[in-house]
Amino acid sequence: MLIGISLISFFIMHLAPGDITSSEAAFNPKASEESRQKLRELYNLDKPVITQYGLWLKRMVELDFGNSFASHQRPVLWETKDSKGNVIKGLIQESLPITLLINLIGIFLIFSVSIVLGTISAVKQNSIVDKSITFFIFVAFAIPGFWLALLLMYWTGVVNQWLPISGLHSLDYKSFSEIGQFFDLLKHLILPVSISMLSGLAGISLYVRNGMLDVLHQDFITTARSKGLNEKNVIFTHALKNAILPLITIVGLSIPGLIGGSVIAESIFAIPGMGKLFYDSVLMRDFPVIMGILTIGSVLTLIGTLIADIGYAWADPRIRKGLVK
Amino acid sequence: MNLFKGNLLAVIGFIIISIILFVAIFAALLSPYDPNYIDINSILLPPSYDHLMGTDGLGRDVLSRMLYGARISLFVGFVAVGIATLIGIFLGSIAGFYGGWIDSIIMRLVDIMLSIPSFFLILAVIAFLTPSIWNIMIVIGLTSWMGVTRLVRAEFLSLRQRDFVLASIVMGSSNKKVITKHLLPNSLTPIIVSSVLGIASAVLIESGLSFLGLGVQAPTASWGNILTDGKEYIQFAWWLSLFPGLAILVTVLGYNLLGEGLRDVLDPKNK
Repeated sequence: MLIGISLISFFIMHLAPGDITSSEAAFNPKASEESRQKLRELYNLDKPVITQYGLWLKRMVELDFGNSFASHQRPVLWETKDSKGNVIKGLIQESLPITLLINLIGIFLIFSVSIVLGTISAVKQNSIVDKSITFFIFVAFAIPGFWLALLLMYWTGVVNQWLPISGLHSLDYKSFSEIGQFFDLLKHLILPVSISMLSGLAGISLYVRNGMLDVLHQDFITTARSKGLNEKNVIFTHALKNAILPLITIVGLSIPGLIGGSVIAESIFAIPGMGKLFYDSVLMRDFPVIMGILTIGSVLTLIGTLIADIGYAWADPRIRKGLVK
Repeated sequence: MNLFKGNLLAVIGFIIISIILFVAIFAALLSPYDPNYIDINSILLPPSYDHLMGTDGLGRDVLSRMLYGARISLFVGFVAVGIATLIGIFLGSIAGFYGGWIDSIIMRLVDIMLSIPSFFLILAVIAFLTPSIWNIMIVIGLTSWMGVTRLVRAEFLSLRQRDFVLASIVMGSSNKKVITKHLLPNSLTPIIVSSVLGIASAVLIESGLSFLGLGVQAPTASWGNILTDGKEYIQFAWWLSLFPGLAILVTVLGYNLLGEGLRDVLDPKNK
């Protein structure tokens, strides 16, 4: 898998017409001969293609993505010491935890809310409640996140001034107590988290609803009902357990979408996470950072999928006890 | 319309899409002004009889820009999904029909592509190329063929075991004939459904890219970049933000309803 990702990212690097040094110059007339020379050195563009790929692979394995062209040439991934012994933090090192925080809160909320919505919708199939939840799901699927973000920013931030609309901290947050700082951070996170979880919420609610409907029509549910269990017991202990098991796999699958979606949410709300870093790097054609984030994003997805697979195997007693493969 | 009998949502989707297609095709006749005509005497006018959706920061008529924007959105959607579907059918057919190591390689490729966050991939490619409407269509197409590939492969795998396909193979039909005459026509339903749903997501991606300034470039109007202008003036000119967002919402909703409706209607299990 990793080799495949390295191949594709290598391929993208070579998409640019001519070589990337000339296209960079075309976009950015200010690109000096010096920075083009650096780019050439970084990716060994004067060597044959196979050698270039080998060297790129080596850099990826060593997680060495070089230094940024912009942002005072800070290291892309991890901190290094400069000649005077000062520690310079890496760009991804600084921004990744923020993106992870937003997405982890997002995933947690998506699952709690969509399990509730999906279950209600399935249990009360074809009722008014079910129809309005389904309608909400369709709208949430179709609504462009950046548009909703704009409207919410305008409504809660400009008209009513309920919530802060950009950044992660208030200007004076350092004067708050620790609890105050925590709530300040929380307040800043409400809008971006809600925007980034919207489409995931719709998808997973629909998934839970369909899964529940499937399970509710199976024989063991009829058995449970006919032996006189109350409905609550049937739904929560028998049906729900079986319906939400496949969700663990869906967590893994939804990670690339969430990470990708953070680009829009973070750049609108000016949150210094990986998505905004990526967007800024694309605008400035800061190739080392772009390649670094692309690789790290994919590695994160792989880790997420792996955790999801292990989680599934752990949660399903049939797999855990080796009864089925 | 008999096709959609009893499926209200699909009918609504069908009507929405028909209206938007009509508007997009006849944009030149319907729009009251030239979408790129700059009139400094009518900057940021609210909606009125003269300008039904108001004017933007350069005095351009928003309704006209919206109508031409519909063209761009649908055009990008169709072409991008066309590319993705063709690639998907091609790779999926090969993988599903031949199996073995070809299948393993193609499915591995699908897994790899799926593990790269697609919005990152699209942005990265755009960073290395120039953002333009053609590049966007190609990039969206090249990054969204994985679903169709899996779908076609799965259909082929199950169809290949069926008697009529076995009969055709035994009677000595060429592989090409078996694929194009028997396997593909019988897997069309899921392909159509996924293409319709694919257009919805392509429209969303295009508008997102244009909103970020990395999609369709000014002065060409697209719903995404009208919204970018709207962001600048959100405190004084709500109409610049409201209409393009609504248009995207309704279009995507229309395609999703139509796609889900088609799935129900065309699936014989539901009859």
